[in-house]
Amino acid sequence: MKVSLEWLRRYLDISESAEEIERAITFLGFEVEGVEKTGLALLENVVVGEITKSGKHPNADRLGLCEVITKEGGAARTIVCGASNYSEGDRVVVALPGAVLPGGLEIVESTIRGVVSQGMMCSEKELGQGEDHSGIMILGDRPDLGVSVNDVCPGNDVIFDIEVTPNRPDCLSHIGIARELGAFFRMPFAYPELGVAASVEGPVDDRAILREVWVKTPQNCPHYRAYMIRGIRIGPSPEWMQRLLIAVGLRPINNVVDITNFVLFELGQPLHAFDASKIEDERLVIRQALESDTIVTLDERKRTLDPSMMVIADGRRPLVVAGIMGSVDAEVDQNTVDLVLEAAYFNPASIRRTSRRLGLSTDSSYRFERGVDPHGASFAAMRAIDLILEIAGGEACGGPFVEGHPPLVKREITMEPDFVRRFLGFSVEDREIREIFEYLHFEVSERESGQGSRSYLVAIPTFREDLERPADLVEEFLRVYGTERIPTTEVRAPGFLDRDDLLTVLNRRASAYLLGQHFEEFVNYSMRSGDELTRWYSHAAAGALGLANPLSSDQSHLRASLVPGLLDNLRLNRNRGNTTVRLFEVGNVFRERDGKIWELNSVAFIMVQAPLPQTWLRRPPPDYYTAANLVRNLLSVTVLEARSPDVGSRIFKPIEDEDTWQPGHAAGLGDFVDGFEAKVGLINIAMLKRWGIEGSVIAGVVYLRPDFVRRQAPPDQFAPYSAYPSVVKDLALVVDESALAENVRRDIFQAAGEASEGAFAVESVVIFDVYRGEGLPPGKKSITFSIVFRTSDRTLTDDEVNRAFERTQKSIMEASGYMVRS
Amino acid sequence: MSMEKTLKAILSEVGSGSAAVVTRGDYEAFKARLTGPKGSLTAAMRSIGKLPPAERPAAGRRINDAKGTVESVLADVLAAVAAKEETESLGPAIDPTLPSPDGGPGVRHILSQVREEICAIFRRVGFAVVEGSEVETEFFCFDALNTPPDHPARDLQDTYYLPREARMANVSRRGDERYLLRTHTSTVQVRTMLERPPPLRIISPGRVFRRDTADATHSANFHQIEGLYVDHQVTVKDLKAILDFLSRSLLGKEARTRFRPHFFPYTEPSFEVDFYSAHLAKVGAEWIEIMGCGMVDPTLFETVGYDPEEWTGYAFGLGIERVAQILCGVDDIRYFYQNDVRFLRQFSLHP
Repeated sequence: MKVSLEWLRRYLDISESAEEIERAITFLGFEVEGVEKTGLALLENVVVGEITKSGKHPNADRLGLCEVITKEGGAARTIVCGASNYSEGDRVVVALPGAVLPGGLEIVESTIRGVVSQGMMCSEKELGQGEDHSGIMILGDRPDLGVSVNDVCPGNDVIFDIEVTPNRPDCLSHIGIARELGAFFRMPFAYPELGVAASVEGPVDDRAILREVWVKTPQNCPHYRAYMIRGIRIGPSPEWMQRLLIAVGLRPINNVVDITNFVLFELGQPLHAFDASKIEDERLVIRQALESDTIVTLDERKRTLDPSMMVIADGRRPLVVAGIMGSVDAEVDQNTVDLVLEAAYFNPASIRRTSRRLGLSTDSSYRFERGVDPHGASFAAMRAIDLILEIAGGEACGGPFVEGHPPLVKREITMEPDFVRRFLGFSVEDREIREIFEYLHFEVSERESGQGSRSYLVAIPTFREDLERPADLVEEFLRVYGTERIPTTEVRAPGFLDRDDLLTVLNRRASAYLLGQHFEEFVNYSMRSGDELTRWYSHAAAGALGLANPLSSDQSHLRASLVPGLLDNLRLNRNRGNTTVRLFEVGNVFRERDGKIWELNSVAFIMVQAPLPQTWLRRPPPDYYTAANLVRNLLSVTVLEARSPDVGSRIFKPIEDEDTWQPGHAAGLGDFVDGFEAKVGLINIAMLKRWGIEGSVIAGVVYLRPDFVRRQAPPDQFAPYSAYPSVVKDLALVVDESALAENVRRDIFQAAGEASEGAFAVESVVIFDVYRGEGLPPGKKSITFSIVFRTSDRTLTDDEVNRAFERTQKSIMEASGYMVRS
Repeated sequence: MSMEKTLKAILSEVGSGSAAVVTRGDYEAFKARLTGPKGSLTAAMRSIGKLPPAERPAAGRRINDAKGTVESVLADVLAAVAAKEETESLGPAIDPTLPSPDGGPGVRHILSQVREEICAIFRRVGFAVVEGSEVETEFFCFDALNTPPDHPARDLQDTYYLPREARMANVSRRGDERYLLRTHTSTVQVRTMLERPPPLRIISPGRVFRRDTADATHSANFHQIEGLYVDHQVTVKDLKAILDFLSRSLLGKEARTRFRPHFFPYTEPSFEVDFYSAHLAKVGAEWIEIMGCGMVDPTLFETVGYDPEEWTGYAFGLGIERVAQILCGVDDIRYFYQNDVRFLRQFSLHP
C-alpha cells in the first residue's frame, strides 16, 4: 500500500526525515518495499507572475513576446515564449535570471532573435511536475504575485510503499499508519474532525430517496448503512485531493468517486456511491446472486455470478458485487445529481471467496477480506458526506437506512505490568507500558490486584481485532518500545537428555561412509514425472504417487527412488564435459504397497562401470561385488544390524523381474515393509540407453522405514574368544552353475558343525575360490571353502579334526548333489 | 701346494669373487666354485685325509676357520643379492608428479554442509535434532499452527496436495483431513509436542514444498531448519540470545542481529530477523533478512496439551538455501538442484 507523507501530516505533526520514518515503519512491523520522493524541489527565483501584455515576436512567427510582472505595480519584464496557450491576465510561473530548474537548466538573460528575454515562463515538464510540455502552466487559482512557486505547487512528498501484514488491516489506511507513527515517535495524532455531517445520523425521514434497504443475507452482511444526498454537482475534485490520490497511485475520476476513494485511503473503510436515479424500484437488496445473474463491472468485463457471491441489487438486477466492485449500470457519472452512499461491514470470508472466484481483487475487497473496523462505517460515511457537501454541494436527505448491527467486538484484556517483564525477560517501567498503550489508543485503567500489585484493564479499540490476550499486548508494547532495546545476553542452556534423531544419525553415518569411498553427494527434487515412474516401476506406482495438483507434468509425482535423479545428474555432467563417477543422494522416497503409500528414508548411489576416464595407471572397474560390499558396509556402519539381528543374516537374492535392473546382474535383500530393503546391481542396459547414458552403471539402494531406524539397540556386549590355535581345512565342491554360493556355504557350516559332534566348534566357513572351465563338466562350477575349526579350552588334535572333516565331506555328498573335487 | 697356501688362495678368491656377484645366478655359481661338490673349499676339505695323522687336527682347524669365513661371506653376498632383488621388485622409482588414478575426496552437497553446520551450532546449546515426514496432513501443517481455514497458504494454488483417495501407510492423521506436502517443518514441532511433555529443545531440519514455478528465488522444494524451545520462563530476551548466538557462530564474532516485528499465526510476538556482518556487507545489502521467529502462541500450547500458564517457549525457522546463498554468494537457487559438479566441488564450509 502506498502512503503519502503529505497525507500523513494531515493527522500528525511529523517533522522526522523520510529515512527516520522509513525506519520507524520497519520497526513497527511493516515492510517498506520502496520509498519514492516526489514533488517540486525547492526552487529559488521561480515565482508567480502575470502576463500583462502579449504579442508576437517581431522576428519569429512561432514565438511570442510577453510583458510579465512579478510584483503588484512592479516593473514589467520582457519574456520570449514558445508556447501559445496563454492570454493577457493569466498568472504563470516565471523563472527569473539566476534560477536553476529541476532539469539543471540555468536561467540567464539572453537575446533571442534580437530581443532580450528576461526570464522564462515554465511548463509543467520544466518544473519536473509532469510530462505536459504543450504549453506553459497557467495558475487557475490566481495565487499572489511574487510568491515562490514552492508555495503554489505541491511541495515535497515522500511515498512509502508499505507491505501490511494480514493481521493489521487497520493499517491499510493513512490514519492507521499515522496512529502507529504517533506511538513510535510519542507524538499526538488527531482524527479528522466531522462537520455538518455529524447531524446526518438519525431516523430516515420523508426526504429519503430510497423506499427500502433489505439485507437478505445478514450472515454475509451483518451491517449496512445507506445514506442519501440530493442535488450534488459532479465535477473534478480539488487539486489537493487529486494530488494525494495520484500520490498513492489512484486516478482521479470525479469529485464523488474521488471522495469515496479518499476516505478509503484515509480511514480504511471502503464506501460505494450509487447514482440514485439508476437504482430501479427505489430499493437496495443485499442478497446472494442468482444462478442467472450477470454484471458488467466497472472494469468493463461481463461477469457471471453464482449464489456463493453477495451482491447489492436494486429491484431488478445486481448493481455491485458486494464489497468488491460496482457495475457500469449504477455508476456515478457527469449527470449524477442524487446519491446513495453505502457504508457497510461485510463478512471477510464471503468477500475473500468471491474475490478469489472472480479473480478480481480491488482496494475495497482487499480491505473487506482482511477485516475493516466493524464500527467504522458510520464515521467513514459522515466523513465522506462532509467532503461531498463541501466539494460537490447538495444536501443530506435525513438519516440513513441502517440494517443490522456492527458485530460486537468490544474487548478488554487484564494484564499485570509484571507479565510484560516476565515475558520479555528484562525490566521496563510501568509508566512506559501504560504510555505506549495509550499512544496506540488503548484505554488503560489501573486496579489493585491484591498484595500491592497492580494490573491494567486494557480496552481494545474496535479496529484492533487481532488483540485478544496478554501476549498480544506484549507484542504491541515491544513494537513501540523498540526491538533494538532488547538486551543482548548469553544463551541459557539447560542440559537435556534428548539425543539427535536416530534417523539423522544414520543418514550422517551413511553419508560419511560414502564420502570416504570417494562419492559425491547430489540433491534432487522430490517430484518426478508419471511416465518415469511407469517406466521404472509400474502403472500402479505411477497411479498411487501422483499429486492432486501438480504444476507441470515433469514434476507430477512423488519420487519412488533416488536413482533416476542420480542418473540425470550423471547425464547432465557428462553432457557438460564434467567427469563424475561415484554419485550418491540421501533423501525421502515413496513406495506404494497394497494401495497405501509408505514414506521411506533412502540412501542410494550409482557408480560408472564404463566408460571410465582414461588414466595412466589402470584400475579394475567397479562391479556388482563392489556395490554389494558398499551396501553391506552401509548396513553395518549405520548400525542397522544392531536394530534387528535379521539384517545381518539376510542374504542377497537375484532380482529377475524389475525393469530397473539388468537380469542376472542384480540382487535384493529384505523388504521395506519389514523395516529395510536393499537393491544392488547393474542398471538395466536398455533403460540406461533410453535415458541417454552410454555404457554401464552400477547402483545400490537402501530403503528404510523411519520407525525401524529409530528402534533403540542395546549396547554391544563382549563375546569371549578362544586363546587356542585354529585348524583350517580346505574343501572344494563341484556344484550346479545355478547354485548360490551362500547356500552351499551354509550347508557346509551345518555339516561341519554336526561332524564335530559338539566336541569343538566350526568357527567359520569362508569362500576363497570359485572356478569354472577345464576339468569340470558343463553347467558346473567349483567353489572352494576354508573351514576353520577351533575350541575355547584346548588345542585341537589333527586326528579329531581330520575325522570331523571326513565326516563333513561324506555327509555333504550324501545330503546334497555336491561333489567333492580332489 | 701346502694346505696353508691353498686356503690362502681360496680366501683371496672369496674376497675378489664376492665383489663380482650381482645376480642370484652369480651367487649360485660363486657358491658352487667354493662349497659345491667341485668347489675349492670342498676339495681342500677332502685333502685332509691325505695328510699325516699328526697334521690333521691343525689342518682341520684351519679349514674350519676358512669355512666359517667363506660361509659368512656367502651369507653377506646372498643378503646383498636378496636386498637388491627386493628393491628391484618394487619397480622403477615413482614420479611424484604423476596424478593418482583413484577417486577424489568425497564431496558433501553444500545444502547438507549448511544443514549440518547449523545443527552443530544448535547442538552446542542443547538442541537435539528431530525429523519428520515430508507428506503431512492439513491438521499438522495448518490447523495446529493457527492457520485460518481460508488462509491462502492452504490453497491448491500454493500447496501441493495428495489426491483425496490417497492413503499413507506411515503418516498418521487427526481425522480424515487431506494429505499434503509440508510447507514448513513446524509440523515436526507439532508432532513432537503431542508426543512428549515439556521441556523441549529441538531442531528440525528438512525438506519443504511450495507450489511455485522455479526461478532464481523459488524452488518447488527447498529446505528449512526450525527450532523450538519450551520451558519454564522462556523470554524474548532468550530468543534474542539464541539468534545472536547463531549469527555469531555462522558469521563471526562481530555479527549482529536485529528483530523486526512481524506476523506469523503461530507466534506472538513474531519477528523477522536480519543478520549483519562485515562478511555480508560484501554481498551488497547492509542487513540481510534471514529468518522468522517468535514466542510460541499460547493457542498452540493449548492445541498440543501444554498448559500455557506454566510453559512458554520460542520458535524460529530459517531456509537452508537462503543461508547457503548468503554464505557462499550464490545468486540463483536453481544451482543447488542442477548439480553441476563444477558448482558442487566449490564449497567446503571452513571450521
